[in-house]
Amino acid sequence: MALLLALPAASPAFSLGSLAEPAPLLLAEKALLLALILTCAWLFWRRFGVVVARIRASRKDPNFSLAPIAPRVRDFVWEVLCQAKVIRERPLPGLAHAFVFWGFLAFALVTLNHFAVGFGFPFLSSTGIFGRFYFAFAACFAVTCAISIAALFVRRFLIQPVWLARVGHKISWESGLIAGLIFTLMATYLASFLVPDGSPSATILWWAHTLSLLVFLPLVPHTKHLHLILSPLTVFLSRGGFSRIPPLVGDEDFGLVTGRDLTQLVSLQAYSCVECGRCTEHCPAANTGKALNPKEIILGLRSYLNDLGPTSEEPLLGKYISQEAVFQCTTCGACEYQCPVGIEHLPIIIGLRRGATNTGTWEDDYAGKLFNAMERNSNALGLSALDRDKFIQKQAFPIFDGSQDYCLWLGCMGGYDPNGREIVSSFAEVMNYLGTSYGVLRKEKCTGDPARRLGNDLVFQMLAEANLEALKQNKVKKIVTICPHCVRTIQEDWKEFGTPPEVEHHSEFLARHQARLPRNPSQDSVVFHDPCYLDRYRGITEEPRQIAALAGPLVEAEQSHQRSFCCGAGGGLAFLGEEHGERVSQVRTAQLTATGASTIAAACPFCNSMLRDALADSGPNPPQLLDIAQIAAASLPPKSDPTQP
Amino acid sequence: MKIIVAIKQVPERDARIRIDAAGKWIDLQDIEVALNESDAYALEEALQLKEAQGGEVVAISVGPERAGQTIREALAKGADRGIHVEVSDPDALTNLDSLAIARLLASAIRDEQPDLVLTGLQSDDLGFGQTGVILAELLGIPHATLILKTEVTSTGIRVLRELEDGWFQHIDMPTPALLTIQSGTNKLRYATLMGIKRAKMKELRAVTADLASVAPVLVRDRVTLPSKQRTTEILTGTPAEAAQKLVDKLQAEARVL
Repeated sequence: MALLLALPAASPAFSLGSLAEPAPLLLAEKALLLALILTCAWLFWRRFGVVVARIRASRKDPNFSLAPIAPRVRDFVWEVLCQAKVIRERPLPGLAHAFVFWGFLAFALVTLNHFAVGFGFPFLSSTGIFGRFYFAFAACFAVTCAISIAALFVRRFLIQPVWLARVGHKISWESGLIAGLIFTLMATYLASFLVPDGSPSATILWWAHTLSLLVFLPLVPHTKHLHLILSPLTVFLSRGGFSRIPPLVGDEDFGLVTGRDLTQLVSLQAYSCVECGRCTEHCPAANTGKALNPKEIILGLRSYLNDLGPTSEEPLLGKYISQEAVFQCTTCGACEYQCPVGIEHLPIIIGLRRGATNTGTWEDDYAGKLFNAMERNSNALGLSALDRDKFIQKQAFPIFDGSQDYCLWLGCMGGYDPNGREIVSSFAEVMNYLGTSYGVLRKEKCTGDPARRLGNDLVFQMLAEANLEALKQNKVKKIVTICPHCVRTIQEDWKEFGTPPEVEHHSEFLARHQARLPRNPSQDSVVFHDPCYLDRYRGITEEPRQIAALAGPLVEAEQSHQRSFCCGAGGGLAFLGEEHGERVSQVRTAQLTATGASTIAAACPFCNSMLRDALADSGPNPPQLLDIAQIAAASLPPKSDPTQP
Repeated sequence: MKIIVAIKQVPERDARIRIDAAGKWIDLQDIEVALNESDAYALEEALQLKEAQGGEVVAISVGPERAGQTIREALAKGADRGIHVEVSDPDALTNLDSLAIARLLASAIRDEQPDLVLTGLQSDDLGFGQTGVILAELLGIPHATLILKTEVTSTGIRVLRELEDGWFQHIDMPTPALLTIQSGTNKLRYATLMGIKRAKMKELRAVTADLASVAPVLVRDRVTLPSKQRTTEILTGTPAEAAQKLVDKLQAEARVL
């Protein structure tokens, strides 16, 4: 490095602007170069070969298909080539990373030529038009890459963001070494523009560049820099969609129980993790003092694969991954949404839960009660179906008979929970006002969402099949519901057992009809809380805001839209016991009340119930909590018929 | 330890009950069924005893073909094998009383030589609470009812019975013995996918009920649905007056105060 810093003074002729080649190598030097390259390749493959073998020895992914290829190409271009996910979440470090990545791409040709020069067959010439252009072009990238890697070094080792670290591990020295090597590669390249062709300086620079490359390459598979090679593949080969849970195959597949259950995609993803910690940074459990740390789940899988391999019969939960942590996940999906290397955390976490629940190794009093209630009463609240019948009668909801446009799906919350019932009733009022024809099913079972997310495939399958059959018999074509969990489960998860009818969330319905909804907004502001199963799972953020805005001017919470912070209810956790550490719902409620809004608008009955409980505990004069259906209903003109309540 | 659990399939709690054409029993067509609640606790007790002591749990049920599902459910939760005493004639089944059921169970159980026979306290549909007690008599073994807790001792088994008014009784019993189990004693385990798949491979032996030998002695005359009466009275006056009226009514009419 000292040599490099001294170089500009020694050679002021930067304006020469042509890349200096070293003096032709002697035969012995060429032999040395070849030996070094072979050693480097051997060291590289000694580790990389093992990784590839582990991935290939994993179980094949059921139902995996490369087609349709277009979304894969699109994701590859957007997430890998454009580095969109890397930049979106952490703009400055993300851009720095992107410049390093683009620098690498630009350097591919330069590097090949570099070795070709060593053996005396350069294909880029610093006197030819293309060579001149390309070396200058690469030099631009070298400058941005060198600045970026230096900045990233400062960030990692001086600023030390907590998410980059690993629990119980020291800061990784390899990252510093790699950063140093990348910087040296760029600096030696740039310095070669400042020295005369064939000079001893040019030869020294050439060798310095060569050695940096040859040290760098074997380091890649030994460190998290493996993501350089694997993550483009991981992104391209992802299952697609969001939280796509693979079907169980055969009589011995219960989810992720032992190494034998790890599929090639899971193993590939485990080896792709770059340990950036975006997943953990956004995880509601990790942020409220729970044991769950999504990064450690993925790295736990990697350690398992390293130590035991994908044919081991050792359980995955235990030494490598904590069962407690796995069952603290709210399945909010912030991790999967954030991950820049294509890891699909939800199928992994839910897969681990399936392994524990389907085999009965997960013992939890609340879960036992929940599953028994779902099995016996077919609703998650464990109430008698007669309660739902009475509610339907009281509200005089029409019964779906095949002639109406919509089947209004009540869901467990809408059918049994007092607050959920108010939401459904308000929504029905709006549909009546709009003159939409709808009906409710005489009998309706839980969609199976809590069972699905907690890994109970038996209960989930029973409920999904029974519901699919009932919907078919009732000739239901279109469902609308107030619950984003129902929407997701019906639309995506039921596909494993049949063809579900079209389903939409009431926010989509209301937004479509908003022109016909009266507005009388107040001066008081409204903050909208995005439900995870709507923003990340379904990609819907604007529709509910349009309805929330009927009540007043919108303000945004600290985390919103697809970066929203969970309420704590998802993944069946609403039905499990007391949380450890802080409550997710209280953290979220504090974010919402901090906006000073006088109304919190929700669009999910589970969020509603979690926020309601947290608000009751949040001090004097809490903001009012309303579902968007209640906001829409409140703006309707008073009914002219005085006999109506 | 070999434990036999006698279980019954009953109409589900939420089932819409209709009286059948003859007026003698409810219409069982298209009715949803479930495992009798206290039988589920008897099964859970048996499984926990097996887990602690080792041995075998055998689930047995008298019932029509569909009762096989309930036995499978018990196998899925962990019972080792099942015996289905099948009664295919629905009229004959409806006419069976506790004595007849106990006789059918006894003849199927006798050769098994169990250490312990568990049943639920009573069935959720008929609710006689007699089947277990009579079964013990027929097998010639001691019994205890309303059991909350069991504990295996060197001489047999110690059980905790629930008495009236918050009193409890501890009894030391020799084995073999029969216990009828109270609901709510344990936390029920959930059925798992693995359990269901394993259950398919477990033995479920069907035996045909010998109805000729078990003539019922109890004849059901008719059943009626409970009549619903609801009277709403609005208490008027000032809040104080209305409250006084309410207290009077709660004391004099409802007698809850």
